[in-house]
Formats: sequence, C-alpha cells, structure tokens
Amino acid sequence: MNRPAQASFTRLEEIIGVAHVVTNGAEITAREVCGARPAVIVKPADAAEIAEILRFAAAERLAVIPTGSGTKLGIGSPPARYDIALDLSRMNRVLAYDPHDLTLGVEPGVRIEDLLRTLAEKKQFVPLVVPFSDRATIGGIVAANSSSPLRHAYGAVRDFCLGMEFVTGEGVQAKSGGRVVKNVTGYDLHKLLIGSLGTLAVITRVNFRTFPMPQAEGTFVASFSSPEAAFKFCGAISHSVLTPQMVEVADPGAGRLIFSGEAAARIIPMQWSVVLSAAGQPSVVERYARELGHMAGAANATNFLPIGDIEQHFVFSRIQEFPRLVLDAAPDSFIFRIGVLPTRMPFLLKELNEVAGQHRAVLATLTRASGIVFAAFVTDAGSTTPTGAIANALKEVFRVCALPENGAQAMLEWGPTEMKTSAEVVWGQSRLDFELMHRVKKSFDPHNVLAPGRFAGGI
Amino acid sequence: MQPQLIRELIALLGPQAVLSAPEDLLLYEYDGSVELGSPRCIVFPTNARDVSEIVRLANRYETPIVGRGAGTGLSGGAIARNGGIVITFSRMNRILEIDAANLRAVVQPGVVNLDLSRAVEHLGLYFAPDPSSQKSCTIGGNVSENSGGPHTLAYGVTVNHVTGLEMVLPDGEIVRIGGKCIESSGYDLCGLFVGSEGTLALVTEITVRLMRKPEAVKTLLAVYDTLDDTTESVVEITVRAITPAACEMLDGFTLRAVEDYVHAGFPKDCAAVLLIEVEGLTEAVEAQAAEITDVCRQNRAREVRAARNNEERNLLWRGRKEAFGAMGRISPMYYVQDGVIPRTRLPETLRRIEEISRKYDLQIGNIFHAGDGNLHPLILFDERDREQFARVVAAGGEIMRHCVAVGGALTGEHGIGMEKNELMSLIFTPDDLALMERVRAEFNPAGRLNPGKVLPMGKACGEIRVPRTPASVTIST
Repeated sequence: MNRPAQASFTRLEEIIGVAHVVTNGAEITAREVCGARPAVIVKPADAAEIAEILRFAAAERLAVIPTGSGTKLGIGSPPARYDIALDLSRMNRVLAYDPHDLTLGVEPGVRIEDLLRTLAEKKQFVPLVVPFSDRATIGGIVAANSSSPLRHAYGAVRDFCLGMEFVTGEGVQAKSGGRVVKNVTGYDLHKLLIGSLGTLAVITRVNFRTFPMPQAEGTFVASFSSPEAAFKFCGAISHSVLTPQMVEVADPGAGRLIFSGEAAARIIPMQWSVVLSAAGQPSVVERYARELGHMAGAANATNFLPIGDIEQHFVFSRIQEFPRLVLDAAPDSFIFRIGVLPTRMPFLLKELNEVAGQHRAVLATLTRASGIVFAAFVTDAGSTTPTGAIANALKEVFRVCALPENGAQAMLEWGPTEMKTSAEVVWGQSRLDFELMHRVKKSFDPHNVLAPGRFAGGI
Repeated sequence: MQPQLIRELIALLGPQAVLSAPEDLLLYEYDGSVELGSPRCIVFPTNARDVSEIVRLANRYETPIVGRGAGTGLSGGAIARNGGIVITFSRMNRILEIDAANLRAVVQPGVVNLDLSRAVEHLGLYFAPDPSSQKSCTIGGNVSENSGGPHTLAYGVTVNHVTGLEMVLPDGEIVRIGGKCIESSGYDLCGLFVGSEGTLALVTEITVRLMRKPEAVKTLLAVYDTLDDTTESVVEITVRAITPAACEMLDGFTLRAVEDYVHAGFPKDCAAVLLIEVEGLTEAVEAQAAEITDVCRQNRAREVRAARNNEERNLLWRGRKEAFGAMGRISPMYYVQDGVIPRTRLPETLRRIEEISRKYDLQIGNIFHAGDGNLHPLILFDERDREQFARVVAAGGEIMRHCVAVGGALTGEHGIGMEKNELMSLIFTPDDLALMERVRAEFNPAGRLNPGKVLPMGKACGEIRVPRTPASVTIST
C-alpha cells in the first residue's frame, strides 16, 4: 500500500484542522476494512471540506473509504487500496424537517436511533428498522442499502429517498432528485449511490419522505412444521387483501437465535416461524388477528400466537439485528443476502441446506417474504473445515442461486476476511451488467479514489 | 430512388416496417407536447434483435435515433428534434408473461398501460402507475418518462414498479439489468435507466410489479366556494398524515369545461372540487373517509359526498382523466405544466398562479395531483396569436420559477424532454449537470440517442423553449 507521507498528513490538517485528523491509536483499528488499515482518519465538517480532501486524494492517488459508525465496513470485497478513512460522524445534523409536508433532509452522520427519536416527537418515522440500530448512521444505511423488515409495506430506501447531495471521487459537489415527494427532474443519480458501499461518491445529505406512525400495531407468530407449509401461508397472505407491514420467515436455525430469551419463551423455536406485524387503527389490527389466525390454521400451523408489547419489542429487535445475532454467536459465519422470487423460496432454502450439510455448517435463514433471504452458514469457532472446502461451498451458493429456475441474485454480505480472496467470492461470477456498472463508476470516480475494489466486478 | 439508409432499413425489416413518405412522416412530427420535429423515417421493429440492428445501422449512417411509444408524452420526449430514425414500438406490444404467484409481468415496451391492468384484472391484480393517458400510452413510454398518475400519491411512480429491463445500448448491444426479483446485487441500474427519457438506451422488455386490488375503495367529492378553502383542506389532510390513495383538485374554470363535456356531476357554480380516493381494508377505508370528510367540512366545504357505486366513481374519474380533452372544446391550444411544490405551499402557490393569470391576461385552469403537490396549470391560447403566445411562455416561466423558489421541482411526471431542458439550471448547478452529462456520454457517447433532450444544450439558461410554430393538434392526455 502506498502510505501517505508526513506531507500528506500536514495537507489534510490544513484542510480540516489538526483536531480532526487522527493517525494512530484504537480509532485506526476500528476503521479496518477486511483487514486493511487506513493510514489516517479525517473527520470533515461539511461537503466543502470533503470536496477538498477528495481532490487532494485524487491528485495524490490515495484511496478513501467513507464511514459513519463503522458498523458495516465488513461488507463488500477487500479494498485494493485504503489510505484515508473519511469519518462522517461530525456531519450529524438534521438539516430540514417539515413534519407538515412529511419530508426530511439529514446529514450522513445522523444516527438512525436519534433520527427516529426526533421523528417520534411528531408521531412520524422512516421505515428503517435496520441492523446495528444503536449506532448505524443514515449514510451507512443508505450506502449499504440496509434491509428493513418493514420493506414489505414501505419499500426500500430507493422507494422513499427523494434526493441526495454528494461529493464525487473527483471532489465535485453535486446533487440529484430533490426535496418534494414527486419528482422526475433529471437523471436519478442518487439511486445509484444506494448500496454502492461508498464506491461512487460521498453522501453529504439525504432527503427522505417520512411516514405517520400507525395508531395501533399487532404482532403475531405462526409456527409450522415444514418450510412448505410456512411459505404456503405467506403465499396465501400475498394473495389476500391483507397487507401486513412485515412478514418474516425464520427457519429453525434462525428461530433458535431470534427466540432465545425469556420474552419469547412461548414461541417454539424448533419449528418454522412466520412473524407478522399489522398496523393501522385498532379495528384493522383486530381483523388481521382474526384472519391471519384462520389462514395460519388453513395452512396447518401448529400454533398461532398474538404476542404482547414486551415480546413484540423483543422479537422485532431480534429480527432487526439478525446479522448481528449470527456474528455475535459465531463470528466466522457467512451471511448471504439473496434476492429471490417468493415461489422459489422453499426450493432455494432446501438447496442451501444441502450445501450447508455437505460442508458441515449449520444453516440459519431469515426470509423477508417479499423476496429477500438472509442465509447464514453458521460455523463453529473450532471448526476444522479446510479453507478449500469453504471456498467450494461459497461457490455452490452462487451456482444454486443462478440456476435459471431460481433466478436469484446473491451477495455475500458477511464472512471472515481471509475467505474474501477476490470480488467473485463476495459478488459471484461476472455478469454482463457489471460492465455497465464500470461505466457508472467511471462517470463518478474516474481516478478510482473511492473504496477501490470493494464492489461488484472489482469496482 | 430511395436513399441508401431507407433501402437498408427495408432490407432489414421489410417494406411494411418502414415509413418514409412525407405524408406518413407528418404523423410522427409531434407528440402530446407543443413541440415539433421532422424524422427522416419511421421503423417498426418486432423484437430486440431488430432494434439492435437498426441502432447499428443508424450508427453507420451517423443518424439520430428516437424511441417512441404512443406519442402521448407531454415534454417532447418522442420528438425527432434533430431528425433521424424514429423507432416506434407499437408492434412490440405483447405481454410475454404473467406470473401472478410472484406478482410480476414481463411485457414488451409497446404494451398499452391499461391493457396490462385489463389482462390481469381477472386475477384481482393491476399495474399501479395510472397516467391520465393510460388508455393509449405505452409501458415503454412510462419507463422512459418515469410516469406517474393520480394514484402515485400512495403507490409511487413507474420506477417503484419496475424490477428489470432488457435494453439495447447505443452501440447495439442487448443487455439485461435487474430481473424479476425484488432486489439485485450491484448498482441500481434500473433506478438510473427508468426516467432517463430515452437518452441512455432503448428499452425492449420490461419486468413490472403487479399489485393486488384493494378490498374497498371509496371516492369522495368535496365541493368548495373558495380556492383557499380547497387548498387548505389538502394541507390539513397532509398535516394530519391521512394517506389517501389519490387527492386531485379541479378549479372552477376547469370543472365547468369538464362538466359540459363529461357530465361527471361536478357542481358548475363552485370555486373548486377535490376528488379524493381512499383504498384498503373496509374498516380502514371507512375510518379514513370519515376523517377526510371531517377535514373538508372544517375547511368550509359546501358539500362532501361519496360515490355511491362503481358507475358514479368511474364517472368522477372520467371527469378527471378527460379534463385535458375537454379543454380542447374551449380553446384552440393549451400549454400544460408539471411543476411540483412542497404540499404545505399549495395555498400561496395557487394564489400566485391567479396573480400571474391576471398579470399576463391569460386564462389558466388548474387540474392536478394536489396530494403530492404536483401542479398542472393549463394555460389556454390560440397559436395564431403570436403576441399572446409570447405571454404564455413568460407566464409559464414565472410559474416554474415560483415552484423552484419554494423548494419544488420542474417536473413531477411528464419529464424534462425538449420543453424544459434549458430550465434545468434553475434547479441544478453546472457541476450537477456536468455529472449527468458525463453519465449520458458514458452510455450514449456519440449523443445519437434522443439528442437535445433532458440536459441543456447551450450555455444560455433559464428559458422555456419557445417553439417556432406550435402544432395545431388535439391533445389527449
């Protein structure tokens, strides 16, 4: 790695002040990305400073990775180079909040926990029930396209983000979209930044629409003895007039993690659990309780349980923190994020189970019924599975997903650094559209300053 | 003898798929906007390979290419501004797959918007984006323009309903992005290409989400004696965070024109009406309708009534969706705008439009998506009166500037096209535009695909394009 010399540190200090440049200590370790350590952390206060830092980095051919609280730096393939960690935690202001218009503009360093608290004062929220909820920042959530179980009703970031301001890899401040709830003015460049892992631009402002909090909520857990029955139940819901705000399927592996603890003592973790949440006025929630119960019965549920406030809070937070639960229990686990069609879910899960079985890993899956599977291959700390065998298993996952009948798209979100030997391990075999992604990268970051190597296709 | 390009196109597609006679070309000079442009020929491909071959041929002849659906667009997106080949997708109009179990359909770009909803109606499903032109506009055109409609308020615009595309790039390569799944790994390329107004690629296949029809629908008509009471009601509905599926406003002038034509049941002596629709479970619909009625009454609505049956409901919606057509009965021509404002600024904005109408001595009708702040002022004019037309352009510019000044946007659903591309600098800095330019150049390096659209062409800024001779056409939207 091309380490920046003292002269570089001096220049960075000139740009943002000595107090906001860190060159050693525990902070550096905390900004590690797949084993790579930055030479320096810089903490800019605004977009103008970021622009100057990036222009300097581009001129010096230094690599920069933007970061908020650093909770998701492990996602993506290992960076080819990494010199500067661009810490956005000082940019933590809510810039505009118009509760009457239900719109919001925030800096990237705002923590989701703080934002939700601010919005709750006006009985509003943004539907980002995402992992690392105590520390995750808006910039990181957007850049990693963190998934929320509320996606079922509210869509993903792309559906409620109205626009962004950002700084490109060349240090140019730009924006797209806007602040109004309906807008087709110009190219929607900000949509490209969602899930881009900081490889295109540094986000400096995100505009969202906000949503009114429902009057009442109800959460239910239906248990099934087979995946077929559980997914049959989900299919029946999606073909009914009911529109729950959350439908999550936990397999027994995930169930053991999610429902461990007193608060969930009534739930049978050894089975396939469908966790549902309905929102609206009380009479609506009552109707969900009634009809979901009937539908669960018709799908041969072994149990259907409306759960109370305390359990509800517990189960919600466990589902929200699923990747963290897995990694806390077994840090060397692999977690895939897979987009899949609802009708293919039981087949895909069966095939993933076979892959896990062949490689002596335990599979734990949490499935968003609208079409996302989080598949964790949980490995023991003392596992003696040879590296080559693990590498084969990872390839198998991509192969199974890519089968024409499955038509699923996978990425390896979490996994031990030593296994991430190439972009293919994380993103799968090269696809035709990767070439288009390279063109996007070239437009935003022609000198390859931002997080080089961290993205699909080696971007 | 026909020019070489035409002969090659005929050799490629057959004589039935190429038009080049002047009288045929006339029909393709305009779309739903007030713009004009003369193509050199029109071609009708039947599959992606045809499109790819046409593009490769156009490249050899260094000829511009413009994609076209039904030509209902309102910003000149389908106009051959620099001449060249217009690729019309009307023969690529097959629904390729309906996957009801996964709530997806795969369609060719020439499928008419409403035809898709009709084809899945028996399954209890529909395609949510519902532009007023949905009886004739195509899904390919919807994708290009990222079209909306009244129900955008609850369900979003086209981009929120597209999961995958097959496209032909300007070099002729056929590529697929996204798929049927709800998410794909990598950059959100669908998010970029949907709404790129035909300037980055030609879309040849679209995978869309289908939605389940709600259990109950209630359509309310609230009648007002003042414009201010009407707009204050919209603000209050938003403030109270009630979320109707649609919330449309028609002012007195517009609804009188509509009533004479459609007989939808709008009282002709009022200042404005709101057409509000709530959908969902029966219990939720009843409660929301009651709350909305309450808000409207508190804001001095003279009358709030619900459509009693489907017939009444359809009639009210016909009144809304055929309003633009009704205008054709009372004015030779109109210019429709598409500005967006934060919803809380609605009352002052409508007052501003009234002032502008008086200042320029022009009749301006207002019929629009009030719930999401998407205005459609209709400025009436007679194209034979050149002096009046200059006032129309000035008034339009002033309304647009107001939208921008209160934190709004230039277009909510019609697109920038060749109508507003020189206005882009009101919203975007030179750096913002340079980046968009760069993205375009990366995908469309020779600028051959739909030239002169979306991005400003010159350094001059801040002008709505003044067409030399506005077309005298009947516009249906």
